[in-house]
Amino acid sequence: MRVFYATDLHGSEVCWRKFLNAAKFYDADVLICGGDMTGKAMIPIVEDGDSYELTLSGVSQRVGRDEVAEVESQVQRKGYYPVRMTSAQVAELEKDPQKVQTLFTEQMCKTVERWMQLAADKMKDSKVRIFVAPGNDDEMEIDEVIANAPRVELAEGKMIDIGGYEMISSGWANPTPWHTYREAPEEELAKRMEPMLREIKDMSRAIFNFHPPPFGTALDEAPALDENLKPLHGGRALRHVGSKAVREAIDKYQPMLSLHGHIHEGKGITRLGKTLAINPGSAYEEGMLLASIIELEPKKGIKNYQLVNG
Amino acid sequence: MATTTTETARPTLFLRNATGLVKAWSTFDAFLYAFWSVNLVTLGLYGMSFVYTIPDGQLLGAVLLTGVLVTFLVITYAQLVSAMPRAGGDYAWQSRILGGGVGFVLAITGWWFTLWLWTPIYANILIVQFFAPLAYTLGWTGVATFFSSQWGVFVSCLIVLAFVSWVITLGMEGYAKIQRFCFWLGMGGLVVMLGLLLFSTHQAFVDAFNREAASLFGASGNAYQATIAAAAKGGTSGVGFGTFGITSTFLLLPFLAFYLLWPVWGATLYGEVRGAKEYRKVFNAMFWGLWVTVVLVAVIILLIVKTIGWDFYYAANASYWNSIFVAGSPAPPVGIWPYPVMLAGWLVGNHLFQALLIVVMGLWFFGWAGTLFLSSTRVIFAAAFDRVLPEFAANISSKRRVPYGALLFMIVPAILISLAWSFAPSIQTWFLWATGVIAITFLGTSIAAAILPWRRKDIFENSPISRLRIAGIPVITVTGVVSAIFLLFMLAEWSFNVIYGTQLLDVTGTKIHVSNPSTVIYFAGTYLLAIAIYVVARVVRKRQGIDLARIHREIPVE
Repeated sequence: MRVFYATDLHGSEVCWRKFLNAAKFYDADVLICGGDMTGKAMIPIVEDGDSYELTLSGVSQRVGRDEVAEVESQVQRKGYYPVRMTSAQVAELEKDPQKVQTLFTEQMCKTVERWMQLAADKMKDSKVRIFVAPGNDDEMEIDEVIANAPRVELAEGKMIDIGGYEMISSGWANPTPWHTYREAPEEELAKRMEPMLREIKDMSRAIFNFHPPPFGTALDEAPALDENLKPLHGGRALRHVGSKAVREAIDKYQPMLSLHGHIHEGKGITRLGKTLAINPGSAYEEGMLLASIIELEPKKGIKNYQLVNG
Repeated sequence: MATTTTETARPTLFLRNATGLVKAWSTFDAFLYAFWSVNLVTLGLYGMSFVYTIPDGQLLGAVLLTGVLVTFLVITYAQLVSAMPRAGGDYAWQSRILGGGVGFVLAITGWWFTLWLWTPIYANILIVQFFAPLAYTLGWTGVATFFSSQWGVFVSCLIVLAFVSWVITLGMEGYAKIQRFCFWLGMGGLVVMLGLLLFSTHQAFVDAFNREAASLFGASGNAYQATIAAAAKGGTSGVGFGTFGITSTFLLLPFLAFYLLWPVWGATLYGEVRGAKEYRKVFNAMFWGLWVTVVLVAVIILLIVKTIGWDFYYAANASYWNSIFVAGSPAPPVGIWPYPVMLAGWLVGNHLFQALLIVVMGLWFFGWAGTLFLSSTRVIFAAAFDRVLPEFAANISSKRRVPYGALLFMIVPAILISLAWSFAPSIQTWFLWATGVIAITFLGTSIAAAILPWRRKDIFENSPISRLRIAGIPVITVTGVVSAIFLLFMLAEWSFNVIYGTQLLDVTGTKIHVSNPSTVIYFAGTYLLAIAIYVVARVVRKRQGIDLARIHREIPVE
């Protein structure tokens, strides 16, 4: 059985399409999206008479009505949400953070819904199973959208049998400086994992699909920040920011495979005892889908694995 | 929740709370790494001590010219970092643009195999700029003599390896702190050195030189003139600062590449840097690392002209190197490498002060030495993650975070190479190609950069650099081509010109013969080894069901 695992797509339309196409491209049987599907930013496309104004990657541009759809597509490629609005609406949003939050939620759900439909259209004749476990950056509202999707299975908080291998998933992370949507202290993360861990019958055939990487490995090094969220030493100083609860669970239960994301710079593979732990990293802004392919077979467990830049 | 506004104060972007949204990093910290890589004291003063072989070249003009040409390389690398911020730098870019095999062979020869050769070079610099002048100044002639012996050279290699390994175990945060500490104190030392040269007269220097030559080295009479006379016997005499031969000035460029080619040295680490996509910041760090060095070197050159004397500077270097490499050359009265820091320190007639200045300026070595293997470890990691190298190569100890796999791949061969350098001087010509092989790696990256807009259109058009164009041509293509021409010029000179000691082929009329068979065999061997590793990896992985070719294949979007 061939598993394709990618994570931290952060709203990139290109990466989601590649994720779905990876099934055919790599001849995969299972697709797993490890979380943080949703975008981090909204770009106002401001209506001004017969044209629209926007700023993308620091460059301001004015486009006509016939070009606006193409520009919106460019914005989506980068993982941002393009929103058409008037300058009065922009001013209103600027004054009211609650309205911005509501609009974000609306845009996220709308995009995830569209992505789920895309999966249904593309994979309607396929037997490939597709799993998504939202990450700490994903708001709770998207769970329902995924749960209702015809071709995508919501993996959060469940033990799922995939071809004789038991997979447990959680997108919850240890606290970050950004106070995101699915964060909890380490003790609480451990408690969240407990019921799922109890359901696993054979750890030698188990897959942990936990968004945060295990603490103190090559997979969890992120730039050290000062109290103002400014990277120290030119962004080169790295610190371990992974989850101790995840590390303890791996050390204690020694699953066959452990899949992680969260730290985009922490691309790598490490062995923790009998466990192969993978963080494929993320380069969603470039429209590149960093991922891993893991080949499983009944006798060996993990037959082989590979990181790819699709 | 945050917003970004335009000049009209209207928000252009609404941000929500999400992981990784950080403030801009300080360009100064990134500048420090580039500045240390282009180390004007350790590499610069050492590298420039060989330019006496081209006496009619204008050194200051050549330094400025190299600065301009390397700026094209800086722009090329900064744009690549911005478009594809990947740990492994050259390896990652070349693999993804030129192909996995080409990328592996060019990057691994430059960043892995050739860095073994740099260990004895670092060790030799440590001897001539630290151990030897310090020992002589303090009157410890036994220590100075030891470090000029074969065992002394080998011990210095081991000291370098131990220090570099320790720095790597500290991680980038620890190393960055060391760099900062060494930078400020080292700059203090440099200011003192420049001040001494600025406020002293030429005659004061001649007197000081003669005094210390007698006091520390037992030289008698006018050692200053005797040094010039010794060089004249070897054919170096009457060199004037105003001498300007255009061709000769260009021929100095390959010498200057020994230090000025490296502002992009840290590019292999940018995969770990959050915000590396900000082209201007990456560019500024590398650009100022290069140009602050160029300006400081210009100041040092002018002060040497004023106080030490240009003819003497060339003569001192010529007489020292000739006494080592040219059989029958007379020994100079001061039998030690003419370290400009030591010479400036002699302007103060106090041995304790002189020793202190050498120690403080030694921080230019210790702040810099960590750069030896840091980039290599990242390239080895990247190749291991691509499954080209075994998993072991990317192993890191869980307690101390030591990348022991990559370090072993670096240190064990480096010890063997150090032994060879120390006890088989006949093979030291290999080491002269240490710059050239990395230049070949840079050439591969320059070509990759030039064709990026066509070869990986998706990445280019989705990157912040896609809008940077000259007459419709992407800037990265223009700078990539200029950099490639510059590198090709130097590679041709190293390969065919006898001046550099690196000549591989002697082309006389229609006759071609191999000038330096052992060097050709060594480097051909390293490239063949890299090709063999890649081919074996392809075969072994294929048997395991892994297709290495698919690592870089792009998944269709539609």
